[in-house]
Amino acid sequence: MIETIYIEKKIKDHPRTKSILKKFKKSRFIEIDKYAEIFNKRNQNFRIQKANPNLILAHKNDGFVLRTPEGFGIGSSKNFYFSHMYNCIYDCRYCFLQGMFSSANYVIFVNFEDFDASIKNVIDQNINSKITFFSGYDCDSLALENVTGFAKHILPIFQQYPEVEIEFRTKSIQREPFMSIEPMENVIMAYSLIPDLMSSSLDNKVPSISKRIQVISDLALRGWKIGLRFDPLIHGKDWKFLYEDLLEKVYNSIPLEAIHSVSVGPLRFPKKMFKDIFNLYPNEPLFTSPLYSNDGIISYDTNIEEEMSVFCKNLTLKYLDNSQIFRCYA
Amino acid sequence: MNKSELLNKMSVRWVIALKEEAKVILDYYEMALINKKTLYPIYKNIEETHWLILSGVGRHNSAAATSYLYTISKASKWTSWINIGIAGSGKGDYGNIYLVDKIFNQNSYITYPATMPKSNLPKMSLLTTDIPITDYSSKELIDMEGSAFFDIASKLTSKEFICIMKIISDGPENNIKQLTKLRIIELLKLNLTKIAQVVLYYENLSENENQIKAKPDIFFKISSNWHFSVTQSSQLENLLRRLKVFCDNNEIMDLIKQCKSSSSVVNSLNNKIETNKVNWSDV
Repeated sequence: MIETIYIEKKIKDHPRTKSILKKFKKSRFIEIDKYAEIFNKRNQNFRIQKANPNLILAHKNDGFVLRTPEGFGIGSSKNFYFSHMYNCIYDCRYCFLQGMFSSANYVIFVNFEDFDASIKNVIDQNINSKITFFSGYDCDSLALENVTGFAKHILPIFQQYPEVEIEFRTKSIQREPFMSIEPMENVIMAYSLIPDLMSSSLDNKVPSISKRIQVISDLALRGWKIGLRFDPLIHGKDWKFLYEDLLEKVYNSIPLEAIHSVSVGPLRFPKKMFKDIFNLYPNEPLFTSPLYSNDGIISYDTNIEEEMSVFCKNLTLKYLDNSQIFRCYA
Repeated sequence: MNKSELLNKMSVRWVIALKEEAKVILDYYEMALINKKTLYPIYKNIEETHWLILSGVGRHNSAAATSYLYTISKASKWTSWINIGIAGSGKGDYGNIYLVDKIFNQNSYITYPATMPKSNLPKMSLLTTDIPITDYSSKELIDMEGSAFFDIASKLTSKEFICIMKIISDGPENNIKQLTKLRIIELLKLNLTKIAQVVLYYENLSENENQIKAKPDIFFKISSNWHFSVTQSSQLENLLRRLKVFCDNNEIMDLIKQCKSSSSVVNSLNNKIETNKVNWSDV
């Protein structure tokens, strides 16, 4: 239940605004000039807001499509991302979004058509490169699909460009629009997974691992390509046993030919972001592990990172080809 | 529970314009005038968890009183701040209480207070004016203090800890000239149950935040036994927060009982973290 929806005056009559508002009949609507009046202002408590976030409907003015950070990708020479939304309905303790914005309210940008134009423009400018787009870097791609309809809106663009990949990365068990349309070769449905035991402590408000595996399996059987994202890798007692159990379960539940790629990535936070997140959740067990600062990044010891990555990679090699496995550092 | 323990728990600060608006609150929370010469009348309960200041009418008074109460009462970052009072309205129901989630001010920008989540109380916008207004048309709530209170309180804490409640006392059908001191007290009394429910939320919010943010109790014990520099003190606090998740105070004291210096305390605690492997089946 969203109690209050703030609506930028500029888009209050936008058809998408009206369609979204119809889904929240009991909410209080408040008109605002700019989303920045509510979002990311100082003196907000992210943790308290996260318990009952409000929704902001806004117009994005620029920065529709951006280059991904160095080290983020699944094999293409150029990687881009776009976010139709800021913040996530889930509350994962390792997520960088906790330290990204000072507000936990959700912002949905309703001017999807401007994203369309920017995506087409980037494709036109990179006609000779292999490029991949990542949807929802600053949010979960699909968790609010039943409210926004963004994936359904954006997919037809990628039907026009079969050589350009798009990845929807999610922890949701959202099946639509994908179960209702024909699978597309250039679309990757990517799922972030950590072992069940860790997930029950760290993935707050997120569907269980078993439910996620079920949806992955259903989409794979429907013909969609699947990305598996073991990112971040979480350390702790019995981590080998826990990851072996997870990986075996996943690889034995999904048709292997449906798997597009697997990526593994270490736990990492920019130093300032880690400080903010630790201040929000000082009693969080995740932060009781030995963590080190290296080049402005807080992470596990590099030997631990390496051991975990190699372990997961070797397990994956029992099922998939080396060319399908990527390490993510960003 | 001793006084210092109570002081470290929840805390609430009230900023109210008139004595008549405050009377029911003062009685209910058992606050008495403090025995000290102050710029504005200030009341507190015996546990010093609730403090109330009578600001008088108007934005300047409200801003000054809020700031003054913060200093006098040594309010923390997780103190809840409450402004309650009567208001005119062209839209709401006479005698009803409303939470404020949007504030207009004739001279400055619009602000958007957070409101208590999952409340059954209705919400309205508030116009704070410098002169009394009798043209109520199209205005939800009208007062003379709210915006100034919010502007100052939001510099003292995050906005989730600030609450503005208004009770409609006058409007097109209820002439302000008929509003008596007794009637104001009556209006507050009629809404006391609702007020107390809201305040309970803010008491809990403050207490929960205190439990998360206050320095671990063992920090003070260790600090009194060894001398720590400012940097070491910050390291100690950080380490203790992490250790407290999986060690009790006795285990922590055992780790450092042989330490001769503050740096060896920090090293010993750090070594414990270095060897920790989170047991995910325990969390």
